[in-house]
Amino acid sequence: MAKARVVTGLDCQETTGANARIIAMIRLEEMYRQAKYADHPYDVQGLHNLRIAAKRVRYTLEVFEEALPAACKPIVDELEQLQDELGAVHDSDVMIALLRLCLASQDSGMAYEQALAQVSKQHAKGKLMVPPELVAKLVESSTLPTDEERHALEQLLQRRIQRREEEYAAFQQHWQQLAERDFRRQVLEVLDS
Amino acid sequence: MQGQEAEQSAPVRAAIDIGSNTVHIVVAHCMADNLDILADEVDMTRIGESVNATGEISQQKQDETIAVLCKYKTLAEQHHAVQVLVVATEAIRKAKNKDEFLAAVERETGLHVQLISGDVEAVLTFYGATYELYREAHPPSRVGVMDLGGGSTELIIARDRHMTWRTSIPIGSGWLHDHYLSANPPTHDDLADAQQFLRTYLKRLNLKRMPSVLVSTGGTANSLLLLARKAFRLPEQEYQLTYDDVLRAEGVMSALTAEDVAHRYDQPLGRARILLAGTLIIAAMMEQFHLKSIRVSSHGIREGLLLARARYGEGWLQQVEEISKQTGNQGKSKQQEGEPGEAFEHSGKRILKDRVEKFLEECDKVLHNEGEDIEPVHKLRVASRRLRAALDAYQSCCEPKLFKKVYKRVKDGADKAGAVRDTDVMLQGLHAQLEKGPEDQVAGVHWLIDHLKLYREQQQQALDDFLQSLDGDALQHDVEASITKGAATNG
Repeated sequence: MAKARVVTGLDCQETTGANARIIAMIRLEEMYRQAKYADHPYDVQGLHNLRIAAKRVRYTLEVFEEALPAACKPIVDELEQLQDELGAVHDSDVMIALLRLCLASQDSGMAYEQALAQVSKQHAKGKLMVPPELVAKLVESSTLPTDEERHALEQLLQRRIQRREEEYAAFQQHWQQLAERDFRRQVLEVLDS
Repeated sequence: MQGQEAEQSAPVRAAIDIGSNTVHIVVAHCMADNLDILADEVDMTRIGESVNATGEISQQKQDETIAVLCKYKTLAEQHHAVQVLVVATEAIRKAKNKDEFLAAVERETGLHVQLISGDVEAVLTFYGATYELYREAHPPSRVGVMDLGGGSTELIIARDRHMTWRTSIPIGSGWLHDHYLSANPPTHDDLADAQQFLRTYLKRLNLKRMPSVLVSTGGTANSLLLLARKAFRLPEQEYQLTYDDVLRAEGVMSALTAEDVAHRYDQPLGRARILLAGTLIIAAMMEQFHLKSIRVSSHGIREGLLLARARYGEGWLQQVEEISKQTGNQGKSKQQEGEPGEAFEHSGKRILKDRVEKFLEECDKVLHNEGEDIEPVHKLRVASRRLRAALDAYQSCCEPKLFKKVYKRVKDGADKAGAVRDTDVMLQGLHAQLEKGPEDQVAGVHWLIDHLKLYREQQQQALDDFLQSLDGDALQHDVEASITKGAATNG
């Protein structure tokens, strides 16, 4: 996810409330730009971007809490819940990616180097969330898991995949509810008040 | 007759601008206050598309642009132009490989491209958009200019031919289309949302009141005029669009697909796709400024460039830069009397100061944490996020170089704290798994915990090293200096 876009057109001598509303609206639009990923359960990067964008809206409302209407508080709560739900999905995605890399890297001799190269490449592009140093630590050949540990890791992976499904379903249900009550318009109305 | 002779004897020059969507040339006999245009051509190269997607100008876009420039150079020669001036704007400014691109253009075409700032662009646009108006018998004293582009809208106010105020709004036709109107045709709800967004946004900007004469330039305004001429049979010589014309055009386009708009009203499809969004912006601006009509100009930066060269000679760029500094950017409208609330700059200084202090306090706690308590790192991460959120919020008020330096330091700290914290979260999850998870996972969980602990130690060491090298006083000083200097510049 790229760095937050600089909001231009602000006047430093203008009131904080007036500028805060502009920044909040831009951040809200940036969030809804990522909304298409909400219906793509396996677009790991897209869901991650949506989470970051939601976080930016929430933080903007929090930074300017004193200057914005009190009605922003329930909006912050909704955003926080979204962030938690997407955060849980993200944590599972990290763990699943990690376990898959560990297990796959032990299937062939050269796989460690391949796994590491792949993760390094993706990490450099900001695409994936597993740091190469962590992969290196986990797939060093001198510390490979025993057969029993490997079997257990497979079980852990399967359970985590199931849990991820549940976490995504919880997020999506919440997202649908927000869409049904036109959350986007509600936020704009509060900012306009 | 004398005027015509003067035009004929005036030197012929060509001006080319390399923009986000197009490369555009105008060749003209050039005088200080008038142009006799001999040729006017445009090619869609859409460099901005490549820059938006990858941050760079692709090889294909570079080759296409060079081919267009070679063609334009020939066109200028055919008209015996004594000089070809080339400027590049936003898309090139943003491109990471702009230096390579400019060097390649110069090497392949022999043309020197001047990369101009947004400030210079505004002055040139103002010159180009208004020169015809100022040649009228009784030009208005106060004139507004609106240059509506794909990614932003520039607003300018001038009094007695001198710019007195200008601002840039990060909303353009492409932007609004991408955010709200991507359905084809747009849904009723999308339209309502877009209109509400524009109304709310513009109201909050507290813009200066526009003069009653507003000259609108850019692709949207000109395409809208063409559509209105065709759809509502406006006379060919008509350059005014009334509010009613704009609303009617909006109504027509709301009911049609982009393909239908393109087909019925002779619009390129790419333009037809974003024309409704641009029209909504024009309508919202007219409502905001209580304007009954706008005047459309097909001239802009290229014509302004030719006029500036004729007025100021070879030193045109320095002169225009000087003029742009006198005008300054950003609405200078001061806080309205009686309106409550702290000024943005003041709250920025206060909030950033508080958050830097909190961040440094948490840094200290992590450094002095000798036990196995994972909370100090968690709190440091939260403090770093809160500081970054405040920096993001006040960035536009900060001096860019100092801001970048500060932001990088905070981000480095946040990343290092994040690596430790993420591992702690994974470890917590795995410990919880051990307590309640099925037996067949236990061996795997232990294996993973052992390895994660080793990794965490490494990351904690990297964090400690960073914190020990962090100069807290310098960070506090730089944050304060950044917003003080920035606010002084940005007004």
